Amino acid sequence: MKNLQDTIREIAAQSLARGEVELVIGWEKGDLWWQSYPAFIEEEKEADRLIWDPLCVPNLSRYLLQELSEMDEKKIALFVKGCDALAFNQLLQDNRTVRERVVLYGIPCDGLVDPSKLEREGLDRDLQEVERDGEELVLKAAAGEEKRVPAKDYLYDKCLTCRYPNPVAYDQMLGETVPVEPEERFTGVRKLEELDYEDRFSYWAEQFSRCIRCFACRNVCPACSCIKCVFDLQEPRWLGKATEPSENAFYHIIRAYHVAGRCVDCGECSRVCPVDIPLQELNRKIILDINELYGEYDAGVDPEQEAPLITYKTDDPAAFTES
Amino acid sequence: MKKVQKEKLEDLFERLAGDGVLYLPLEEDGVVNFAPWKKGARVNLEALNTVLPPKRAIFPQTETYMRFETDGKKLQIEQVEPVEGNYFLFGVRPCDMAGIKVLDKVFLDEPEDDIYSRRRQAGTILSLGCNDPHVSCFCSAFDLEPGFAPDADVALWDVGEVLLWKPLSEKGEKLTSSVEDLLEDASAEEERAAEEQRNSAAATVAAAAREHGWNVEGVEEALQDMFEAELWDKLYRRCLGCGICTYICPTCHCFDVEDFGKWQEGERFRCWDSCMFEEFTLHASGENPRPTQKERVRQRFMHKLCYYPSNFEGLYACVGCGRCVRQCPVSIDITQVIKEVGGVKSGS
Repeated sequence: MKNLQDTIREIAAQSLARGEVELVIGWEKGDLWWQSYPAFIEEEKEADRLIWDPLCVPNLSRYLLQELSEMDEKKIALFVKGCDALAFNQLLQDNRTVRERVVLYGIPCDGLVDPSKLEREGLDRDLQEVERDGEELVLKAAAGEEKRVPAKDYLYDKCLTCRYPNPVAYDQMLGETVPVEPEERFTGVRKLEELDYEDRFSYWAEQFSRCIRCFACRNVCPACSCIKCVFDLQEPRWLGKATEPSENAFYHIIRAYHVAGRCVDCGECSRVCPVDIPLQELNRKIILDINELYGEYDAGVDPEQEAPLITYKTDDPAAFTES
Repeated sequence: MKKVQKEKLEDLFERLAGDGVLYLPLEEDGVVNFAPWKKGARVNLEALNTVLPPKRAIFPQTETYMRFETDGKKLQIEQVEPVEGNYFLFGVRPCDMAGIKVLDKVFLDEPEDDIYSRRRQAGTILSLGCNDPHVSCFCSAFDLEPGFAPDADVALWDVGEVLLWKPLSEKGEKLTSSVEDLLEDASAEEERAAEEQRNSAAATVAAAAREHGWNVEGVEEALQDMFEAELWDKLYRRCLGCGICTYICPTCHCFDVEDFGKWQEGERFRCWDSCMFEEFTLHASGENPRPTQKERVRQRFMHKLCYYPSNFEGLYACVGCGRCVRQCPVSIDITQVIKEVGGVKSGS
């Protein structure tokens, strides 16, 4: 079987050569083992820069916001994992991208490697390359040494709970679909719900106190697609620039509400946070509430489905007013 | 040279904390950062780099320096004292110490920044040599030594059961004599062990620098002609425009000034700013000379590798700590920029 990386390069080269698209967005490799980052390929001969490995975590769909607006009627090809596809659909539903101008190549994804989990066990020593082989990771060191470890132990937490590893939106699917075996995703939320009000408040106050307001969680979020973000407004200045408890809490809580019902649970916010604030839990709490109040709903799965928070029904529950 | 037994560290911390605020790497929820020590705190001297650099103790992210109040047509202004008294920065890595020296040039140069200067003077810095550099460490590219920070007040080396202790400045001598009862003389063997560790750490980083081509020679000059280079068109495209790289950087020092006001009273504070943000250098007219992420990304690298060294005798505003290399969510890597710029130069 041809490997996925070869297929990716071939398809990218072909669609550029045939003039089907003018830009292909995929991933490429940096100098250090964990660096698999977004690549923008505009020429056929550059297609060999594209790679696929278990570290291709950055979500590519968000780049459509900048690339489509700058390119008139040009078409873009995008490689999408399960989470990228959900993100794409959400952008579509939010009217922030155009389906006809995007060619989606789906990549069934069996989970990506969290570099910090390898580092924690010293497995990053002399590491050059990480490969996936079935249920195992192959860690290739500088001197040609190889080590095999169970993949599951080193995947991102968000990947372990992923419910849509196979892209829900695609024009062409590359590779075989992978089994869907998610761990329960609301365990963390349930645990927090068990705390009483005071403890829950102090838990989040403590988490937010670490925030340095780098806005990485917002800037990576596929649901944060506003042309002008409320937090960037100078007049009026809703969010002051001081990093102090009330401003930090204001930022995170308002952001969680702004993406409520549109968060696709891709977990990028938690991944990029430099001070490890468990932001995905905050969004999951809202997802759980929506599920319980309005019935199960998964943002990004079907852009045609009515979204509960922007649909009014006369029999909607009014949990806040009913005592 | 002196030494302190690790089992006596708790006593030492208690002593220091009694004489000021003791900042040292504390672990909380798995995140290691410099924070004020208190009894029972989880000290982590093994972590190579704290998430945020220790510069926060001298140059806090947010600091109020003025309060005001109006009463009819009267305006009352009160200056807020920046200095809270003595403090100690314990366990500062040599790259981070070099970062503080980069800040010193900016804030202590004429006209001196009073707030910074007073904070800086109130602190005593104890640096800790690195034994085991990370693959993203590249301090040697800037002629720094991972195992030794010559600008600290006291140099420390972890050699197993003990921390070796060597005062380097007057402040360091003073501190040493004030805690003399907790220190012992180091043995020749221990000194040799520290020496070996220093050499091996330096060799590790130097080897990585050679392997990856992290050579900053000529980068400043090359960048002077690269304002319009194609490099920036490529590099900015994947940038998310977040502020991680600038806020976790030990040398970044741009700040903004803002008021927080209520009806008739308020305060003025300064806070870190980031060239990555769209609001950075936004003029009152609405014009911004850096209108897109391309100009902002260029600014970050130009400032560190060209403008700053042009202003301060060739000193680069990067110390090779590797934080941005590790933390950028899309792997924008300053060592790649250095390599590419160096490559442009040698190729032309």
